[in-house]
Amino acid sequence: MDRLLNRSSGLFFIAFGIFLYFVVIPYDTESVDYGWVRPQTVPNAMAWIIIIAGLAQLIRPTGSVSADIAKMSRAAMHLLIVAGGVLAISQFGFRLVSPLLALAIMLTVGERRPVWLALGVIGIPVLIWFVVAVLLGRPLP
Amino acid sequence: MKIGKLMTSLIAAAVILTFGAANAADWKPSGPVNLQIGFGAGGETDTLGRVIASVMKEQTGWDVIAENKPGGGGVAMFSGISKAPADGLVIGLGVNMPIMINLVLRGDKLPFDLDSFDYLATVARAQLAIIAKKDAPFDDIKGLVAHSKANGGTAVAFDAKPQELILRAIDKQESAGLKLVSTKSSAEMLQFVLGGQVMASFSAGTHIPYVEKGDLKVLASANDGRHNYAPDTLSLKEQGYNLFVDPYFYFAGPAGLPDDAKAALVAALDSAIASEKVKTVVANALATEVDNLGSDGTKKMLVDGIGGVKVLFGK
Amino acid sequence: MVDFNVVLAGLTDAFQLTNLLFVLAGVVLGQFVGAVPGIGPVMAMAIAIPFTFVLDPLPAIGFLVGVNKGGLVGGAVPAVLINTPGTPDAAATALDGHPLAKQGKPVKATKMALYASVTGDTFSDLVLVTVSAPLAIVALKMGPVEVFALMIFAFSIIAGLVGNSLSKGIIAAALGLLCATVGLDPEHSTPRLYFGWFELYDGLPLASVAIGMLAISEILRRLASTNGGMKSAIEIPVAQNPEDMRVRWVEYWSCRYTMLRGAVIGTILGALPGIGSTAAAFMSYASAKQTSDDPQSFGKGNLHGIAAAESANSAVVGANLIPLLTLGIPGSVGAALIISAFMIHGIQPGPLLFEQQGRLVYGLFGAMIMANFINLFVGQVGLRFWILVVRAPESVIFSSALLLCIVGVSMATGGLFGVSVMLIFAGVGYLMTAFGYSVVIFIIAFFLGPRFEISLSQTLVLLDGDVAALVNYPIAIVLLLLAIVATWWLGFRAAARQANKQPA
Repeated sequence: MDRLLNRSSGLFFIAFGIFLYFVVIPYDTESVDYGWVRPQTVPNAMAWIIIIAGLAQLIRPTGSVSADIAKMSRAAMHLLIVAGGVLAISQFGFRLVSPLLALAIMLTVGERRPVWLALGVIGIPVLIWFVVAVLLGRPLP
Repeated sequence: MKIGKLMTSLIAAAVILTFGAANAADWKPSGPVNLQIGFGAGGETDTLGRVIASVMKEQTGWDVIAENKPGGGGVAMFSGISKAPADGLVIGLGVNMPIMINLVLRGDKLPFDLDSFDYLATVARAQLAIIAKKDAPFDDIKGLVAHSKANGGTAVAFDAKPQELILRAIDKQESAGLKLVSTKSSAEMLQFVLGGQVMASFSAGTHIPYVEKGDLKVLASANDGRHNYAPDTLSLKEQGYNLFVDPYFYFAGPAGLPDDAKAALVAALDSAIASEKVKTVVANALATEVDNLGSDGTKKMLVDGIGGVKVLFGK
Repeated sequence: MVDFNVVLAGLTDAFQLTNLLFVLAGVVLGQFVGAVPGIGPVMAMAIAIPFTFVLDPLPAIGFLVGVNKGGLVGGAVPAVLINTPGTPDAAATALDGHPLAKQGKPVKATKMALYASVTGDTFSDLVLVTVSAPLAIVALKMGPVEVFALMIFAFSIIAGLVGNSLSKGIIAAALGLLCATVGLDPEHSTPRLYFGWFELYDGLPLASVAIGMLAISEILRRLASTNGGMKSAIEIPVAQNPEDMRVRWVEYWSCRYTMLRGAVIGTILGALPGIGSTAAAFMSYASAKQTSDDPQSFGKGNLHGIAAAESANSAVVGANLIPLLTLGIPGSVGAALIISAFMIHGIQPGPLLFEQQGRLVYGLFGAMIMANFINLFVGQVGLRFWILVVRAPESVIFSSALLLCIVGVSMATGGLFGVSVMLIFAGVGYLMTAFGYSVVIFIIAFFLGPRFEISLSQTLVLLDGDVAALVNYPIAIVLLLLAIVATWWLGFRAAARQANKQPA
């Protein structure tokens, strides 16, 4: 299983390097006609290194893998919650969203004790607001 | 030229005093004024912005908050400003050169043009010099060119696109064979000159204490005009190269500010820039004097500057 | 030469009660803010600068130096306790600090970090006070060619951390360098790989990448393996062996060579503008590991690992002031902020600083030494406070840490754009770790990338692309030879170890 995952990560990086070299780098760099280190020089070199090392990984997979589908999907869910929270902050501001974001995170990890919930959902956002906006006079996002 | 500029600022000041004052007194920001700085923490623009914010706060009683918005030499910040509501609560401090260069080279990709802003003030014009070590075997650009020809190429450092273009233009005009070394800051250029890795470089003020101490000398002013600390050193133009840059630090807000808000901001910035505290910081950070062109003068500086940048890029 | 009376007057100034109080306030603020995930010392200084406008120069600069030094000590705290370093140099501390904390010895781990940090810091301060002028002249001789060779040498040492898969290590490093190329290219200033986002003109925001990859991805991992949220963020045995609560003198003393090496590496790299504490911390860590009799114990809670990383990254900060005070050249963002404070207080940094402001400079030296002692004492108290804090349930700790990282990165990068970048890199970091690609190697390459590329460009211009011209740069040749020797030696040691293992 690990060998298979190691091989497939090698395959992924070969594809990634090729995509970089033929699509991304030509599209998103400007050409210049003088100088030693051109804008593309280092990115192209990195693309090639990634392709070659990916090939090595495909042929002779090394290193460990700790991919656990259940955990990865939980991590992905939390990342999505936070990303949604940041999107909401951009619309409604940190003051309104941060307690809800904290609540969502705490509930999904199974926290049910009211005192700790109150601390995480009300206490911490108020503390952050007090320190950043009041003490330091900086705008909250 | 100098007189012209002085006149514009005097007129601008007079306009503010006569017309601005009455309106300005009526306007108060409805919340904290966000003074955005187009560069990261630590550096000349950051220092200027923070001091001006604190002086403004002191003088007007408004809540002025300085905030860093780095990215592309101010392009990222002014992109944000151009989209911000024109209520006088957001103003930006940037430097003209990167903005003008990006407008000239990639104007189609930018979310703003010169008309996207209301211009409020300039803080100062940076004095850009070409410097060398005191014991270098040349005293001006012609000497540098001759040295380069005789020695198969002389290394010269720069840290911004316009400086590179000036060097390329000189190199082309004289077939001098200069070796152009790109650096990331004026501190790095200074370090290379002092360490002898390059024979000459640009510098925007950090060199002045060294000139006083006798370690460095100035080969030319790269501005349109000479420098106050070295009145005998000729500008590039005077040395026969029709090249110059005039980097200005300036303030702008989103276009369409209400008249009273604009007048109040212009007046507040003007009195902050004229304060002793700001003068000292400008003298320390840029080795020059404060130079507020006023609202219209700032706009004119940018419009004219775009023309100059086009020439520099051969467009 | 500065008059002895001036030196004395300056040092006396440093011991005035008001000045000491401001240094103390700075250290306390710095340790606190540095320990909060997502903020860090540079951020703390940037926030503190406006508060110094109203002060006299010495208390103002003493305060900022206190914040900087306190921030370094504080920065190690979250790295060690919950494995969420906010800066890459603290990531080196986390490598051994966090495993030790997980073994139920968080007090010991954080104390070792504190002692090593103060030791390295004091060493570089003493170098600064005594030999800064000659050292600065030597540092000036290190031009782009030498710096490029030095970076190759640093890479060859750090390569010892690659671990058990060479191809994965190379991919991680290449990805880091690739991400470092986003933004304006160093030689021609053309924008590249920015996909129309002008916020990326100056490159990917450092704070977003570092905090996303190092801190947020770790928080995601911890959240994913939490159930019920009842556990403390760190488990401490109730009846703890008192030996595990402190660092014995014997233990400290056994790390003396490790710390000395770290302090020397940190001081040298700190005196050269532009390389920074990341390279120093990892070079010191890697060389401590390579020269150890038991390299296998590194990464599992070895005190030497903590000592190596902290002594080196703290030494950089003192040494950064060498080019700053002697030449007016800032070697880091922190140093640039101190220059800015000088300017705000009407002082022009540069070659004349010692002559014109001798009393202030020696006052600052006095304040720095005092700040180190204050750091030590405040740290003793502060560590207990933080260890108390992380006994709260994981659910509270990690949700608060997430909020703090969002606020901190948004303040550091000027808005939510930086926060989005942070989240993207959190995802990337999580996946890389899951598939066995080292995030730490990525981060080292990412932080050294820009300097590497511009040094390469400068070197090629100066040499006219002719490798034979290197003969004019003897220091560079020596460094390149050392790099070859180090690579060979590392390969040799690894092969020898492999051979030893086979029969068993």
